[in-house]
Amino acid sequence: MNGAVPHQCGGLGSLSPIPYPPSPIPVDDLLRHPGLWRAREQGGAALRPGLPTGFALLDRCLPGAGWPLQGLVEILADRNGIGELSLLMPVLARLCGGEHEGGWLAWISPPHQPYAPALAACGIDLRRVLVIRGQAAEWAMEQALRSGACSAVLGWAACRDRQSLRRLQLAAEQSRCLAVLFRRLRDGSEPSPAVLRIALDGGRDGLEVRILKSRGGRAASVRLGWASFATRAIAH
Amino acid sequence: MPLPGKHRVPPEVSPSPSPSPVSGRSRLRPALGGGNRSGTGEPTRSAAPAGELWLAIHLPNHILESLCQPAVAAGEDAAGDDAGHVVVVDPGRGGKVVCACGVTATAAGVAPGMALNSALALLPDARVLARDSRRERTLLETVAVVALDFTPRVNLDPPDGVLLEVRGSLRLFGGVRQLCARVGERLRARGLAPRIALTPTRLAALWFARSGMEVVLRRPEALAGRLAALPLACTRWPERSLRSLATMGVHAVGDCLRLPRDGFTRRFEPQMRLDLDRALGHAPDPRAAFVPGERFAARRDLEPELADTARLQSVCEPLLDELCTFLQARGASVESLELRLLHRDAPPTRLRLHFAEPVTAAARIAALLRERLARAELPEPVRSVRLRSGPLSEARVQAGDLFALDRRRASAVPQLVERLRARLGEEAVHGLCLVPEHRPEAAWEKGDILLFQSSGKGECPLFPGPRPVWLLAEPQPLAGDEQPRYEGLLEIEGGPERIESGWWDGRDVRRDYYVARTPAGVRVWIFRERRTPGGWFLHGVFG
Repeated sequence: MNGAVPHQCGGLGSLSPIPYPPSPIPVDDLLRHPGLWRAREQGGAALRPGLPTGFALLDRCLPGAGWPLQGLVEILADRNGIGELSLLMPVLARLCGGEHEGGWLAWISPPHQPYAPALAACGIDLRRVLVIRGQAAEWAMEQALRSGACSAVLGWAACRDRQSLRRLQLAAEQSRCLAVLFRRLRDGSEPSPAVLRIALDGGRDGLEVRILKSRGGRAASVRLGWASFATRAIAH
Repeated sequence: MPLPGKHRVPPEVSPSPSPSPVSGRSRLRPALGGGNRSGTGEPTRSAAPAGELWLAIHLPNHILESLCQPAVAAGEDAAGDDAGHVVVVDPGRGGKVVCACGVTATAAGVAPGMALNSALALLPDARVLARDSRRERTLLETVAVVALDFTPRVNLDPPDGVLLEVRGSLRLFGGVRQLCARVGERLRARGLAPRIALTPTRLAALWFARSGMEVVLRRPEALAGRLAALPLACTRWPERSLRSLATMGVHAVGDCLRLPRDGFTRRFEPQMRLDLDRALGHAPDPRAAFVPGERFAARRDLEPELADTARLQSVCEPLLDELCTFLQARGASVESLELRLLHRDAPPTRLRLHFAEPVTAAARIAALLRERLARAELPEPVRSVRLRSGPLSEARVQAGDLFALDRRRASAVPQLVERLRARLGEEAVHGLCLVPEHRPEAAWEKGDILLFQSSGKGECPLFPGPRPVWLLAEPQPLAGDEQPRYEGLLEIEGGPERIESGWWDGRDVRRDYYVARTPAGVRVWIFRERRTPGGWFLHGVFG
């Protein structure tokens, strides 16, 4: 443990105020604070490894070799059900177990009812699913991110103003969870502080995944065949 | 909580001698005041446990104080004026006789026992209120809760007295005088006017306090001498007995003590003799200990009325502080609170706060209350606020832990849930659970999030076919007869899966489910109705 303690903490000034004394902050938490810059990561892109997406083709295009755990991910699609959730199912199932155990999956203002049997069949622990409905989707999403209770927060919100997007990005930056915001394709033309922006297009033979913006990576485009989704679903 | 100080047990006290010269008759038959050796079976020694010291709080104006809340921080002068004009009548006695009145009314000549009409003639702008025994009881319990800060042994003496055993607390509070002063200060801060007396027996202390003599008396031997001067009215004996005593020329406690013991016992109720023995410490005086109420209730009357929720919040904050003191005194926590906002005409607005887990911290309650108040719609300005707690539960205190990541996460969920519920509503936040059912729409239900944590790992159900992540609330009819259409011609990829179930509850289904894909690449779950008139329906989307 001692070896991991940074001897140079360049980013300490940007640490958020630490609530003290109500609860002592575990050392592990402090070390994982996104504002902490460690000397041994010098030179590299200071990129934290992401969570593997479950699709090798996509992993290769993402800078952290997976979904980033700090910062907002935007998924842009014009239709619900185009495959946006199939894309996330492997990572959500993964977040329910192992080292992430104890974290919750928050579904905020989903367009339809998330269907429990399907989630269970994909390997998601239903005891950890939180469905939140209501008007104030951005507010609820920010609360969920800041609470530290969730390991993934999925939100469906229009986010018309840049202010609320920035707030979400800040909250996502400081949490250690997968924060995904679903928006429409036309929003892709507007600037956004999100770390990763992905546009989805469906077709008869597969899902076209276009990476519009990726911090530390490059724009790219991948075509995932429907067959790869099908095998995935059976595996879980 | 005062710690019982170490104290010396005073030497056994012998019965006090009769305070005044005894008559020839009573020399043969012992007087009430002396220790007796006659055959009436009375104890000859002090029956009070050695070293007890009782502090009595008497509230002479309890009727008024229970009805007129102490001036709320807002306008002291206005509220004080108002309270002066109050005339209280007892609804139990026809509501025609004044039983208490405010300062202004007294100055105008109104007195308890007066007919209401005469009182109104003297003071036309009097505010007539009805006596409320429940509120008097509440007031007494409030005083007892304050008393619990000074000693764990507290008795109620309804309707207007509270008794505290303070021997163990003397050292902590710096002596008898200091203690009495502190108790008085706390009660005066709540707008009460207490009379406080301290003696080695409960009854003597009460009698002194009722007579308005704020004595501090520590030696049991001195009791008989000091009690002698008290008028008999302070004993609250039956009116008839007091009258017949008066005709005998017995007006003070001392006169009574000089009377022969067996004669007194024969002529008057045994309770009266027992009272005298108890006051002197010759007979034990067991009483039920005060156990603080299991719920918290407090109210504030607002003057002027408030319509602004932000100002209401600031009115509620002192109530919350009171609640937290109450909880801390018991080591307790609450799971729910009810805030009732009373209006002049409209029915009261009820705000219920439910916490996802028991709470004790004022800040957390206040934060939730703010969200709830901001959402509340008030039909009229609020004239009174009542806060009532749900049942109390034992507070769980968690030890801090340097590596307590998981536990911190576990406690963050209930907080998140209650914050979201406070703003979005109770129904807005839910969990999911499975129901063993073949009909797709019945195979799941909303679950309570916090119950889930304890339940075992849900079993992964086995379905013959795939299930969509999104389920539509209602199946949506599709165009097309043989070839279903939804945003273009649907291409069937899998199926059919026949589901026939539910004949027993009237919502039976007979359907053939297929997986299909739209030209845009959206995978959908559709079914063909097997009952007439048939047709295709969209039931889910595989996100």
